[in-house]
Formats: sequence, C-alpha cells, structure tokens
Amino acid sequence: MICENCKKHQATIHLTEIVNNTKKEIHLCEHCAEKQGVVKQQMSIADFLAGLASGGAPAAKHKLPDVRCPSCGMSLAEFQTGGRFGCADDYTVFRERLMPLIEKIHDSTQHVGKVPARAGRSVQREKELRQLQAELKRAVDREEYEQAAQVRDQLRRLEEQAEGGKEPSGDADQEAGR
Amino acid sequence: MQIRKLADSLGEWLGGTGPESDVVISSRVRLARNLERFNFPARLEGAERAECATHIRERILESKVVEAENYFLLEERSALERHFLVERHLISKEHEDGGAGRAVAVGADEILSIMALEEDHLRLQILKSGLQPVETWRIASSVDDLLDRHLHFAFNPQLGYLTSCPTNVGTGLRVSVMLHLPALVLTRHIAKCFQAMAKIGLNVRGLYGEGTEASGDFYQISNQSTLGKTEESIVRDLGAVVPEVLKYERSARRTLLHRDKRRIEDRVWRAYAMLKHARILSSDETMTLLSALRLGVHAGIIEGLAPAAVNEIFIFSQPAHLQIRAGREIPAAERDVLRADFVRAHLPSL
Repeated sequence: MICENCKKHQATIHLTEIVNNTKKEIHLCEHCAEKQGVVKQQMSIADFLAGLASGGAPAAKHKLPDVRCPSCGMSLAEFQTGGRFGCADDYTVFRERLMPLIEKIHDSTQHVGKVPARAGRSVQREKELRQLQAELKRAVDREEYEQAAQVRDQLRRLEEQAEGGKEPSGDADQEAGR
Repeated sequence: MQIRKLADSLGEWLGGTGPESDVVISSRVRLARNLERFNFPARLEGAERAECATHIRERILESKVVEAENYFLLEERSALERHFLVERHLISKEHEDGGAGRAVAVGADEILSIMALEEDHLRLQILKSGLQPVETWRIASSVDDLLDRHLHFAFNPQLGYLTSCPTNVGTGLRVSVMLHLPALVLTRHIAKCFQAMAKIGLNVRGLYGEGTEASGDFYQISNQSTLGKTEESIVRDLGAVVPEVLKYERSARRTLLHRDKRRIEDRVWRAYAMLKHARILSSDETMTLLSALRLGVHAGIIEGLAPAAVNEIFIFSQPAHLQIRAGREIPAAERDVLRADFVRAHLPSL
C-alpha cells in the first residue's frame, strides 16, 4: 500500500479514526506520519545538543556563552559538537543550560536509584525520604488513608533520625582527596 | 586465556535455555560508571589516560570479578580479534576501534563483561539467555557493588551516576532484551509494534545495539530514560512490555501457520535446503536463512533440531568467528565458501 500523503513511499502506518460514528482509515509512510505528528518523535541526541544554545528550545540559533570547565577545559560549543562531556564537573559548570534539557530527555531531574556505598547514609536517607513522600502522595491521591498514615509515620521516624544526628559521620569524606 | 579459546565455546546466553527462548534470545543489563578522579574518556589523554587505564585494570582485578588472564587490552589485539569480540557481544562497535588504554574484562561463561575506556570509564554488562531481566539486573548490581568497593564512582546526589553523555545520567542503566520477531515481520505488524513501544519510552535497535540495522529479524528493545526512576522500576517496566510483544509474535506465528501453512512450511524447508546444500553463503544470506530455520524449529515445523544448534551456527558462521577458528584472515569470497562448508557440516540431516 502506498502512502496517501506523498503517494511515493510504502505506507507502514495504518490508523483508524472514528469521527461522528464514521470509520476512517489513514495509511501513511513513516516520514509523512512523523511530519503530521502522528508518530511521536523522541528527542534525539542531536535535538538535545541543538537545544543547548537556547537552554531548551530546540534548534534555535543562539550564541553559546563562552564558559569553560576549569577542570577539563570543555566548552559548551565543544560539547555541542562532540556530544560527550569531558569530566564530572561539567555537570556543575553547565548546570543552568543542562537541567532543562535533562528534564526533557528523562522527564525528571532527580536521581532516585542506587547510591555508591561511600556516598554515605545521608544520600541514602534523602532517597528514602523522597520515595516515601511520593508514596504518601500516591496513597492520598487514591484515598488509601490507612496506607497514607503508615507512610506518614515512617516519614516522621526517618526525619526524627536525621534531626537526632544518630548517624555516624558520612564516610564520603574519608575518601576525599583520592 | 587467549581469545582463540573463547571462539571454541559458546557464552551462556547462546544456550537457548532461558525462559521464553522461542522469541527471547537474551536479556542484557548495562551500567555506565565513571571514576571521580579522572577526566572522562573524551578528555583523557597521554600519561593521565595511561594512568587511568592501569588504575582500572588493577582495581578490577583486585575486586576479583574476573581472572587476570581474561582481561584483554584491545591495543594488543588484532583488528580481527576485536571484531570477534563485537560478534560475541562482549564489546561495542565503538570500542572495537581500539584506542589507547581500551580493554575488556570477560567473566566466566561470558555472562559478565566490562569495557574500560569506552564512552565511559566503565561499561559493565551482564548477558543472560532468555527473558530474565530481573535476574540479569540482580547480577549486574552485585558486580557493581563489588566494583564500588574498589573504585570511586563519579556521583552526584541529584543527578546520580555522572556519565559522558547526559542521556545515560542517573542510574547509567540500559536494560534490553533481544527478540526474534520473524512472524511480526512477515505479517507486517512490526512497525505498529515499534510505534507502541516508542510511545511508552522504549528504544528499538538492531542486532549489535546502537546505530546498527536489524538483521535476521532480531531486534533489541531497551529503556530510553535513565533518570528519575529506580533501577528496579526501569527493569520492571521493560519486563512488563515484553510478554505483550511475545503474545503478539506468537499469535502472528499461529496466524501464519493457520492461514498460510504450506507457504510458511515451504519458506522454512527452503531455508533448510539452502543451508544444507549451498556451496557459497554470504553472512547476510545466512542470517536470513537461519532466521527462517529458527522460526521453523520453534513453530514445530522442523523437528529433531535443537534450538542451541541453530544458535551455534548463527554465532560461529559470522565473519570473525570463521576466521579466528581457521586461524587466519580470509578474504570475503573465500569466507563465503568456508561458511557454506561450515553450515553444511554442522546442520544435521533431517
């Protein structure tokens, strides 16, 4: 079947629309489907890099600020060309430009996964706090109040622990300077 | 161990024994990690790069996750051996180009491999046969824990594990499954299937990962986002989609058998006949024929042929495998003859 839009390429995307009880079939090639916004195009790394200059709005032609990372010497323009950072500090140096784009790619700007052992308990606890807060919100949204109360108690205990300073000093510092 | 020895065995993932192995070839987990004290590989040169390479090697060996004899420096390996490692799914295409300090550490049964100085300082991979993403993640995480005791990973409480490319930041986790979807390709439902996956944030790639074409109806599905979800939920989300794809593929297989039984049998037996009798076989043609054969084995059209035997031919008939096993470099034309000889000898008479 040929694409009914360009009438050139093979139609690989077949849609059925029902408008006012009338069934309508649409047959498009991938290219036309994408152009018509039928297929949601994911943000590619190229779009991501192009968006750096404008801090989010893709492909806008803005001049990049001439900031260089003091640790590795990487500039935003170089990152835009190569697509790779030069060191861990780049995330801090280019933070302002980077965060909106990271949010676009991942739909989040907060890590909630695994934590290296030496990053210490404080990070671990922050992570647990965030998870519990999310759980609390979910429970309240679903009107599961018994569950919400349990989560709330857990949260309180965790917060008390943090304030009580029962925790041994963070082991992250032990390794500083390595 | 020499790379030659690897060429005589099969990794665990090719055993064809894992769950749902009629459709799912393998499950893979990859973790990207960088070291705090060194620049990322893109900005790592000269003495600093060499120091980083040595540091990684020493610490990995210290952690005892692999044996010293299975730590291969790519610079010391021929182009052919490096390509062999790609065919084996132990290193990426990008890593194959070599470059100062690049290495790969291979664990027992080839379940674990660690690339050093690829896009990130470390790329840890666990590869298991069949559909077992949770188990695969569990192993990857425990190896990560071991390495964590010996190496200081770049980490930030907000952004998680810091990676060369921001598309991997956070968990640094890519979980994928390799699927064989010949019936969805034949019934032309594959595009629809991929669109559905794209909508829920999954990537579809070819046989050898990023930037590679799908060949032999093999496709890799993986998560796109790496930040803002726990590793467990990323793994679970992918794991939840696969059964749907399996159902879809199996129902397409049933439809084909029901509607076009003769035609599908013909396709499978023709593939068998070509593989069993051809005198010249290119690697592309072999892949296409083996895909049809594999479908025949799992759809019950061909009996008396073990799935593992098909996998074995599939892996051993690749260009670098043929050459490494022959112990020399062989021009493409001659290789196609050698491939046909190999396939003929290894495919049982039915």
